[in-house]
Amino acid sequence: MSHPLELSSVSKQYVSRKHRVDAVREVSFAVAAGEIFGFLGPNGAGKSTTIKIIMNLIRADRGTATIFGTPSTKAETRRHVGFLPENPALYDYMTGAEYLRFVGNVHGMPKQRIRQRSDELLMLLDLLPAAKRAIRSYSKGMLQKLGLAQAIIHDPPVLILDEPMSGLDPLSRVLVKELIVNEKKNGKTVFFSTHIISDVERVCDRVGIIRNGILKAVKEVAPLLREGIEAYRVRFAEHESSAEQEIMVSPDDLTTQMVAITSTGGTIRLLEPVRKNLEDFFLHIIRED
Amino acid sequence: MKNILRITILGIMRDRVFHGITVAALVFGLVPVISQLSMRQVTELALTLSLSLTSFLLLLLSVFLGGVSLWKDIDRRYAYSILGLPLRRSDYVLGKYLGIVSFILLTATVLGIVGALFSYSAIGVYPPNRPVLWENYVYAIFFDVLKYALLVSFAFLFSTISTSFFLPMFGAVCIFFVGSSSQEAYNYVNSPEAAALHPAAKSAITALYYVLPNFGAFDFKTNAIYSIPMDYQGLMLTFVYFCCYVSIVLGLAVILFNRRQL
Ligand SMILES: Nc1ncnc2c1ncn2[C@@H]1O[C@H](COP(=O)(O)OP(=O)(O)O)[C@@H](O)[C@H]1O
Ligand SMILES: [Mg+2]
Repeated sequence: MSHPLELSSVSKQYVSRKHRVDAVREVSFAVAAGEIFGFLGPNGAGKSTTIKIIMNLIRADRGTATIFGTPSTKAETRRHVGFLPENPALYDYMTGAEYLRFVGNVHGMPKQRIRQRSDELLMLLDLLPAAKRAIRSYSKGMLQKLGLAQAIIHDPPVLILDEPMSGLDPLSRVLVKELIVNEKKNGKTVFFSTHIISDVERVCDRVGIIRNGILKAVKEVAPLLREGIEAYRVRFAEHESSAEQEIMVSPDDLTTQMVAITSTGGTIRLLEPVRKNLEDFFLHIIRED
Repeated sequence: MKNILRITILGIMRDRVFHGITVAALVFGLVPVISQLSMRQVTELALTLSLSLTSFLLLLLSVFLGGVSLWKDIDRRYAYSILGLPLRRSDYVLGKYLGIVSFILLTATVLGIVGALFSYSAIGVYPPNRPVLWENYVYAIFFDVLKYALLVSFAFLFSTISTSFFLPMFGAVCIFFVGSSSQEAYNYVNSPEAAALHPAAKSAITALYYVLPNFGAFDFKTNAIYSIPMDYQGLMLTFVYFCCYVSIVLGLAVILFNRRQL
């Protein structure tokens, strides 16, 4: 079966009178069904450009993007996609509820279902009090959340989100992360961009790292977290009454050390992995050249 | 397309454009006053004023709405969210276009009725020599609407290639003035007075006459004002002309918008 999202050798150059910017260079990757794929890179790396190409808002100079095997230049592929643009702008003369109804209508959803989904999402994203107010009066974070609601109202199998967590307060960030993880639990595929490393750590199965338009690496996140363990901090007491001691143990010596402590009647009070910061890994890749 | 049409009209309404129109319609109150001041040809004057005022307001509407609508969606990035939905770009452009034209038609209907009522009140006092043909009045306004629908399609065409509202707005104004006088220019070129004109200039003007829209063909105001019977074949011809022309311009706009990088 074809991938929910696949890019092959996508390139895009912006040409203006004075400058040429290679925004995206020969980017290829495939997102598997049911995974959360993080697209990580600093500002100006080419994330939004890639996403705009996927959504057919701009045209690639070379290469193709496909949704379930169909070129994304076809409007019908967007039936399967929920899209949140970067800092979304939504018709501000409508109310939040009206906008969701409009989007539901475009997707051809039945009236009853639109209302049900719309209430559900407004509630979930804590927008219910503002539902009947003009979007004009929304704060940046509210707009972002409404943007997310309109992206998932039709329960699409693929989500494409450009910086979904930007402009949100800490509580809403958690809310949105939970929502993304929930979508995965329901079998959906999520592709989202971010410039914040910790966003990737928590939720992603895989991460693609882009810089200067070049896809530097595509990695699974879990092994990275595991491999990152450099040592264990062990706190123990030799006897019930004696003072606690702390030692650092390398992963290879962990078992022998544990046995040594417990066999002499000591008790382990704390065992904690010490990670090489994931951030270091990403920064290493990003700073490579 | 239907959805886009609906929200376009909603947007125009919410932007209080209609309030502006209502205020402007109050100017129609002057129609009976001015006409009666003239004491002579009250009917003709009242109808002329009503039709011209309606036409002028429709012109403002079409230049403003036609020039701004698409541009604003692109400029404020509303288009990103809209085109991320499973909508073809052609449906989006045509939906917006039909929304604006529907609004212009609605406005024309309202203004037409208001104008007719005020004219009627003026005429009541000074009965005309010839009975007014209200049917002609309706035709005059309807073809005015078609004229502005054509103008809006030009504004859309310019919007698809422009990154500012300057080209759509001023382009539409230019098209309007050139298109309104192209018939006269053509007639002049083919008249004996133009014998001295260079043949190249003549053919250039003739070519322009065929390429640019001929808004003069949509003007049936004299039939309404002087109660001259309608030439139905002429109406039909103009209607067919409108359909062909507007299809070409909108077709072009859609093709260009399909290639547009947002
Ligand atoms: N419309 C444009 N015209 C010219 N250059 C652009 C345009 N949009 C983006 N760029 C440039 O392309 C590069 C990638 O931008 P973008 O994809 O928005 O980055 P990101 O989303 O990763 O922050 C940047 O250097 C940016 O300046
Ligand atoms: Mg971006």
